[in-house]
Amino acid sequence: MKLSVLRALVVMMCAVVLIPIIGLGYSTADLEAIASNELIPEISAAAGMALASTYASTMTVAALEDLAANGRTIGLRTAASDALSILYRTKTEDELMAIAGGTGAAMVRAAAVDPLVAFLISKDNLKAMAADATVTHEVRLAAAKAYYFMTRGSQTAASLETEAVTNDSDELAYAAGEALAGFYLSFNPKTQAELETLAISGGSEGLRVAGGLALSTLLIKSDLTAEAIESTLLSIAGTKSAEYRNAYEVALANRYGM
Amino acid sequence: MKRSLLVLLGALLVFSAVGLAQGYDKMPADAVIVPLGVAGTAYENLQPGVRGGTFYISDISNPKKWNLVTAHETSTSEYGYQMFRGMTDINPVSGALVAELAKSWDISDDGLTLTFHLRQGLKWSDGVPFTADDVVFTFNDLYFNDDVETDTRDILTLPDGSFPVVTKVDDYTVQVQLSQIFRPILNSIGASIMPKHKLAQYVHKLNPDVPAGTFNGTWGLDTDPAELCGMGPFIVQSYTPDQNVVMVRNPYYYHYDENGTQLPYIDKYVTLVVASQDVSLLKFRNGEINALGIRPSDVPILKSEEATKDFTVILGEGGYGTLWISFNYDVDNANLKTLFRDLRFRKAVAHAMDKQTIIDNLYNGLAVPQWAQISMPSPFYPGRDYYGGPITEKDAVTYEYDLNKANALLDEIGIKDTNGDGIREFADGTPVEFELNTNAGNTLREGFCLIMQEDLAKIGIKADFNPIDFNTLVNKLFGSTTEAVVLGLTGGDEPNGGANVYKSDGGLHFWHYSAGTGDINEVEKQMDDLYNQAVSTFDNEKAFELYKQSDILFATESLGMINSVNQQFTYAIYNNVGNGNIASVNATPSGTNGLGWDLVYLK
Repeated sequence: MKLSVLRALVVMMCAVVLIPIIGLGYSTADLEAIASNELIPEISAAAGMALASTYASTMTVAALEDLAANGRTIGLRTAASDALSILYRTKTEDELMAIAGGTGAAMVRAAAVDPLVAFLISKDNLKAMAADATVTHEVRLAAAKAYYFMTRGSQTAASLETEAVTNDSDELAYAAGEALAGFYLSFNPKTQAELETLAISGGSEGLRVAGGLALSTLLIKSDLTAEAIESTLLSIAGTKSAEYRNAYEVALANRYGM
Repeated sequence: MKRSLLVLLGALLVFSAVGLAQGYDKMPADAVIVPLGVAGTAYENLQPGVRGGTFYISDISNPKKWNLVTAHETSTSEYGYQMFRGMTDINPVSGALVAELAKSWDISDDGLTLTFHLRQGLKWSDGVPFTADDVVFTFNDLYFNDDVETDTRDILTLPDGSFPVVTKVDDYTVQVQLSQIFRPILNSIGASIMPKHKLAQYVHKLNPDVPAGTFNGTWGLDTDPAELCGMGPFIVQSYTPDQNVVMVRNPYYYHYDENGTQLPYIDKYVTLVVASQDVSLLKFRNGEINALGIRPSDVPILKSEEATKDFTVILGEGGYGTLWISFNYDVDNANLKTLFRDLRFRKAVAHAMDKQTIIDNLYNGLAVPQWAQISMPSPFYPGRDYYGGPITEKDAVTYEYDLNKANALLDEIGIKDTNGDGIREFADGTPVEFELNTNAGNTLREGFCLIMQEDLAKIGIKADFNPIDFNTLVNKLFGSTTEAVVLGLTGGDEPNGGANVYKSDGGLHFWHYSAGTGDINEVEKQMDDLYNQAVSTFDNEKAFELYKQSDILFATESLGMINSVNQQFTYAIYNNVGNGNIASVNATPSGTNGLGWDLVYLK
């Protein structure tokens, strides 16, 4: 009952936000309106993802760090974090380690992960670093991503399916899932139905990540409109799995112009 | 007011510093018009673009110099190929020979005199007119000059060891005299032409005031870019070691699209110098470079981002290289010698080769079956409909995976499993068993050997796989002491590059060296004849047909090498790049041959 009320409210709110922009494309103001006002977190975040490149070219690092930490909605925080990730590419390894391994806001630390991967690929102790409980989740995640990037030549779908379930750390399992998604889209293709099942009920986060990421690609390549994706996100709000909803979130961000 | 003047003066200084003039007042009458999007041409799948923008690629090496004549490495020549052009070139889409700085050429009735008619009204990037003097200078004073260190001299040498004699007829006509008819010279005569007005002063034979060898150090990395000039689409503007090379459009480039827009479309292209291929991949994923040649292991990671980041992973046609198994006709063991010389045996092996498993297991699906000796990207590839035409494989000689056929052929030979151990025996009771070598450490070839070992076991043949050191393997090969070997050849556009393999007296005719000393068979005689005929004509269509005949003959009657599969060309390019689909083995926008660069544009 409660959920139905929430959905109805969300539909009304979204209608208010979306009606003015249907057929007009998505301006920065449109996206900011969605990111700021949308109640469904995945829709808000999708708008944030689409805003990131604009914010990266129009806002300062300090302003973005503040927004990533204190933004009112997940959409605004996502926009700032993703924009920071772009701007952080010019930072040194030490600076990135300080951010990712520091005590700042999680969304700021998260912004340093991908830029940090570029430095970590030359390290030879990545797996140990990815399982090191003395460093932050973000440093472990960067190490895990770097590990699967550097070992990609020796991986197979089968090995990754194992490592996405059983690994030395959650971050390694997650990164194995990310790598596995690529196999599901190339050498070991799965159908959309198979990916949906995996994204919803895969036996581990890593497997759900693999299914969700691969699913997002199929959704982007489909003829689904932004409105259709929004409707789906409304209908699955708070249900299914985070990875399944994330697949639709990424697809919506694409439709918003990410 | 003063400040405005300073700004204007500064702008003029910057302009002159890159050594570029303003460009043509109007399109030269002999300009090259590229028929982008025109049906029935090689360019029909491309489209006219728009000018502007900067294109980014990456390279893992710094250039060594700007002197293309003396360059040995691709990290140098990739810039030279942007800056210079030759009298002939190859079509970036089809690979076919085309006129470039020459607008046409005539061949005398005896085939020994080639007359090139140069395009008139063209200028070097610094505005100096291009003439026959540049062509004659380039060949006689650079490529044929012993004082100049150049790899190009080798490809310009005729089979009898002589060089073509290059002479000026008038400002726009050059004659090339040959001692013998040799078709491949038309490709090699397309070597890049250099600016005489810039470089003659550094050639000792023309300017005795400079020491011998001076030219070899000319146009090093310390050269002021303003001193460089060329005829190609781009000219080096700046270089920062370990950082980047910036090239800008040549205002006097003479290629235009059908709409009259001067090429290249992009204003500038920047090559980022990076530490490794891994860094290149990361930069591509970040959107910091527009295009990237990728390896099969990169495909999954890119496919998962293809949609979200709006790029395309291109899985193209097969590349130049080959992978095959071969049996030594001259092996000491009399039983094996008889068996290996039996065409039915080699056909049985061809039928037992599970190419799909090889493609799936060794190449992750990124390979295609290979049947011809001539490389797929070559305009002479026999799977094409005509010289430089589309690949349709309508004449392909295929050996489907069929163990029944393989077994039937072996039964017909008379080798049977008489003792029921799963291995066939010769008439004297000894098992059909041989050593299979490849070079240790090459995981692809080792994987292929293991698959072949399994495939052969299924038809009662025992292959003892023994990977050995590469140099040891080469010695065994040249000493004709191998039994069976798995190796590959690099291939190329010009089929005659493989003459030393397929002709009976070739130095790499390793499966039957005794053919060169009298033990030649009828098929080898026919192959020799076809290869000789194909270089003795300047008619590429005729040569194409001759090479097609040779490949079909080899695949049906010789099988001296039994081909496996051919790895596909893989490439990734952002979708905001127009004409990115030109990317192929022949023309990679980030490749080393420079073809196609003038056609890509940013949407």
